[in-house]
Amino acid sequence: MKKIFYPLAALMLLVTGCAFCWAAPPGVGRDQTLAAQPKANSIAELAARYDSSSCIECHQQAHDEWAKSIHARSIFGTGRTALTFKTAIVNGAMEWPSSEVKTPKDIKVEHLMGCAKCHLPQLADATDKVAQEIVTTIWDWDAALKKEDFDKAEKFEKTLTSLNINCLICHNRNAITHKWSEGYPKKDTVYGSKSGEHMDGKFTKMAKGQIVSESILCGQCHGLGPNFDQENPTQCATAYGSYLMAYVPEGGNKTCQQCHMKESKLGHDMQSYRSKVMAEKAVDMHVVTNSVYWRDNATIRPKTSVRVELTNHAGHGIPDG
Amino acid sequence: MPVPQQMGKGDRMGRGPYEKSGLLEDTSLPPLRTITQSYDIFFPVKVEEKDGKKVSTIASDSMDVEVKLWYLPYGTMDDDPFLWKEFKKTVKISTSGK
Repeated sequence: MKKIFYPLAALMLLVTGCAFCWAAPPGVGRDQTLAAQPKANSIAELAARYDSSSCIECHQQAHDEWAKSIHARSIFGTGRTALTFKTAIVNGAMEWPSSEVKTPKDIKVEHLMGCAKCHLPQLADATDKVAQEIVTTIWDWDAALKKEDFDKAEKFEKTLTSLNINCLICHNRNAITHKWSEGYPKKDTVYGSKSGEHMDGKFTKMAKGQIVSESILCGQCHGLGPNFDQENPTQCATAYGSYLMAYVPEGGNKTCQQCHMKESKLGHDMQSYRSKVMAEKAVDMHVVTNSVYWRDNATIRPKTSVRVELTNHAGHGIPDG
Repeated sequence: MPVPQQMGKGDRMGRGPYEKSGLLEDTSLPPLRTITQSYDIFFPVKVEEKDGKKVSTIASDSMDVEVKLWYLPYGTMDDDPFLWKEFKKTVKISTSGK
């Protein structure tokens, strides 16, 4: 009997121990979010989890505006972003002795979160298999381009752009920053300017998003500085840090959305310096010239003095980075 | 631009986002402030010898001044430079007087 008892006791301890290991993190309603569903196991599954195509029917204009923005291709960009993911793996993770990344095949979700925290925050809701699939697709896309196989490259580009910062990231997943005080974003609700019922099969409710018009919504990605919550902190963007520590102290009181969406009239086509309207709004250059004769001991030399005044009207330093 | 510090230590700039942590210096345009820069540009002169003396005369009494504000996202004019603002003016200097 003793021989049977000990393994049973051990099994009981193991089960109890695992129950502690698997204890859900704190937060009432955390389990009712899109993020809390079983982890997506492929790019297609993750894209389907955050599929916002049903929004288009009623929000065509917002969708069309968004489609022109870099948010619509957040891990691909112009191609440069995808290549920077690659550089971050090859020149970063693979060179760091304690990262456990010897080859791209060793990449896990956590390794990609340095980039994905902003370029694809929903990657946190996926398995390492998805991280692997993203890495493989970027490598394959790059290889296809180098072989000038543009059809293949386009196919991979399409896969990469199926993951992006769409309606559901800002209006659901990341719509609430203070989850213990305001509750977790519910998987059936979109957060915007209204509350009530919502004409959608999956997202049947609307709720007023407390931060949807506030800078902090954008600040989640557009950066304070090094992300100290990560094992190897990075800082891609510092715009929100500049907004808080430089713009506001100078008396600035506009939100990101006021300049980038409303005053620019760009709506959901959020742009920066490449947009004519944003570039013109952001910086004034005033030049004054004054031509005089300069005289030293023996010679006179005419010169012109050029005085350049640059005024930054944006809510952050220019450039950011 | 905000010049990122490589891995948050030392005097080296980090260019890749994976290695940027901290700032070495910041030359970006600060929000809601005006930055002024002045440049002295001399008119070209011709120096000739006359009666054993060096005499300088201005090559032209006018000069085309161009001021361009470039944003260089990758730090060099070879890679995707963006012309943000441009100013052009022809300035003149007097030709009489002593």
